[in-house]
Amino acid sequence: MKTRLSTVSLALAGVLSAASAIAAEPIKIGVVTPLTQTYAPIGQQVRWGLELATKEVNAAGGILGRKVELIFEDEEANPAVATQKAEKLFQVTKVDFLTGTVNSGSTLAVGQVAERNDRLIATTVSFSDAITGDKCSPNVFRVNARAGQQSAALAEWLNKEKPGASVFFLGPDYEMGRNTVAAFKAAVESRGMKTVGEIFAPLGNKDYSPFFGQMRAARPTVLYTSVAGNDTARFFTQLEEYGLRKNLLIVGASGTVTSQNMGALGAVAEGYVTGVGYSPEIDLPANKKFVTSFQAMAGAAPDLYGADSYGLIYFYKAAVEKAKSTDTAKVRTAMRGLKWMTPQGEKEMRAGDHQAIQDMYAVRVEGGKFRIVSKVAGTLAVGPDSCTRF
Amino acid sequence: MLESTPLVQSTPLVQPAKLGRVAAYEWSHRSAQVFIAAALVFTGVAVFVGDTFFLRLATEALIYAGLAMSVDLLLGVTGMLSLGQALFFGLGSYASTLVLKHVTPSFWVAMAVALAVGTVAGAIGAVLSIRARGVYFALITFGMAQVVSKVVYNTRSIGGSDGIIGIPVIKVNLLLFEVDTASPAGFFLLVLALVMLLYFGLAYLLRTPAGRVLVAVRTNEARVPFLGYQIRNARFLAFVVAADLAAFAGALYPMLRGFVSPELMYFNVSGDAVVTVVIGGLGTLIGPIYGSVVITALKSIIGTYTDHYPIVIGALFMLAVIAFPNGLMGAVDTLRARRKGGSP
Repeated sequence: MKTRLSTVSLALAGVLSAASAIAAEPIKIGVVTPLTQTYAPIGQQVRWGLELATKEVNAAGGILGRKVELIFEDEEANPAVATQKAEKLFQVTKVDFLTGTVNSGSTLAVGQVAERNDRLIATTVSFSDAITGDKCSPNVFRVNARAGQQSAALAEWLNKEKPGASVFFLGPDYEMGRNTVAAFKAAVESRGMKTVGEIFAPLGNKDYSPFFGQMRAARPTVLYTSVAGNDTARFFTQLEEYGLRKNLLIVGASGTVTSQNMGALGAVAEGYVTGVGYSPEIDLPANKKFVTSFQAMAGAAPDLYGADSYGLIYFYKAAVEKAKSTDTAKVRTAMRGLKWMTPQGEKEMRAGDHQAIQDMYAVRVEGGKFRIVSKVAGTLAVGPDSCTRF
Repeated sequence: MLESTPLVQSTPLVQPAKLGRVAAYEWSHRSAQVFIAAALVFTGVAVFVGDTFFLRLATEALIYAGLAMSVDLLLGVTGMLSLGQALFFGLGSYASTLVLKHVTPSFWVAMAVALAVGTVAGAIGAVLSIRARGVYFALITFGMAQVVSKVVYNTRSIGGSDGIIGIPVIKVNLLLFEVDTASPAGFFLLVLALVMLLYFGLAYLLRTPAGRVLVAVRTNEARVPFLGYQIRNARFLAFVVAADLAAFAGALYPMLRGFVSPELMYFNVSGDAVVTVVIGGLGTLIGPIYGSVVITALKSIIGTYTDHYPIVIGALFMLAVIAFPNGLMGAVDTLRARRKGGSP
């Protein structure tokens, strides 16, 4: 009897230790993000955000008692590289989940790889509307704001500030430029504002003054632009020189005025307003804590990519804990409609198109820095669900 | 760089060195047979252990090998350095994608359309570029690829910067049986067969009079007109055939990966193809195939261990060029000659 009991307890102990060994196996998250070349600074923010959140989650006991492990591969911001790396992570490393893709083409192509391998991915950076729009996938989630959310937030703010405004558009003459202008035009017109003119200037245009006559004649109260980089500097400086900035509110895309060209712009950027999904200034306790820890770990301030990537780990954690499993189908169901906390406040994953709904902000350049002027509720900025695949 | 061509070096048009040249071809064919045997063993092992990733990675290496072979035809055989060969690779991949997605999911139709596009684009490209020499030719080919990739990048109707996804998995009808492009081993063997066919086809072409003129254009251009051949025709032929090869290889890409994007036409693809040829052995045709396998494997493996893999690959490239100026095939050739106890 005694021997039998000890055999049973031995067997039990064996089963238990096997069970705890399974439980102790880490949850692997693959990260395919640019670690070299032009987009490395974005990849760096993604990496810092993910690493900070992973450190916090692991310190608090992991997810379902399992540690989280991040495995990085270089995306090179190139879909041809990203798909190959994603396949490796899915099939050889056997990751449970994948994130990090920056290039929108990479996110779409890797999403397809995920579909064919029955895994889930999420992007924290790509902003092409197609990812959660006409090219949506049941295996792809987006936790950051898409392009349309930024312009919707700006249009919403503009409508409150200057209802019925006459808006003039000037964009750079290439696909993205024309898209941003078209999106913002639709957003303001649906809110009852008028379009009084539209111009597309060549990329790298030196002299904007030939367009000024048409602009002056249209008598706009608001100017929307999506030029970028040095074009912004020339355009804004010439507007100032020709005295056109008086009584004109200038708004634009988030890439028009950035920390990179803010210095070159100086005073001419003052008063410029744009819509964003994150600013280190957001006055929430969660954000204050996040900014401090991020600064301490990375030695740099977080930007939207860092913040959205940080929030992703908590999104995955919440979903796995709700599903009580890392199984693809169960986690997908758990992610749909999930609400979770991020430095930007509470986000909600819309079930219909896998696009996160989050509060957006209108920010204005004041004294050479972006200041938050208004918060736009997430539901007003997210736009309709145009995904028809699921 | 242009002189280091072990296979077609012995200028047969002017010297009675025919024996050596034929021997070199036979040896090169033996390298091809070794490659095929190794690939078959690899397939067997991969299927046995249930691998899919490495089979698909190897398929990609073979597809890029097709592109590298087209660069070798231009650079190693005819002496024209193209820095924009990805243009034709990309056109082939877009042509195949559009056919598969919007017209008919037929492998043969896709390949035929890609070849037609490659021929037309190659002829236009040749008219624009072959009158220029050396660095000017290189810059024109580079420029053409840049221009077309930007046009594709900005054309919304073919996906723009997002590219095209959702290319269906197809069944390749080979009369007696069918190969599913989603089957890692099946598609690998199909691509292997196609790439080796391209290799033997090219090797055959180089033994025809037209092919020998290509070699002559590189080795002694001034002499070619005296023999009654038009240099421009030879360069035109080389350019169009190379465009076809690249388009053919490109057409296979979307069947493997299920997407295309403008990045497939970018300079890094063209540049990698040139590096592949130099590492494998200029003018050997089989060298680029070995080179592509080596480079694809290195990138995939080293990239996992360090973020600084471009430094490692760059250093390896420099070492390879210094230690084996004639590429992998040249190094093997030297070894073989040494064992035989004579000079090659």
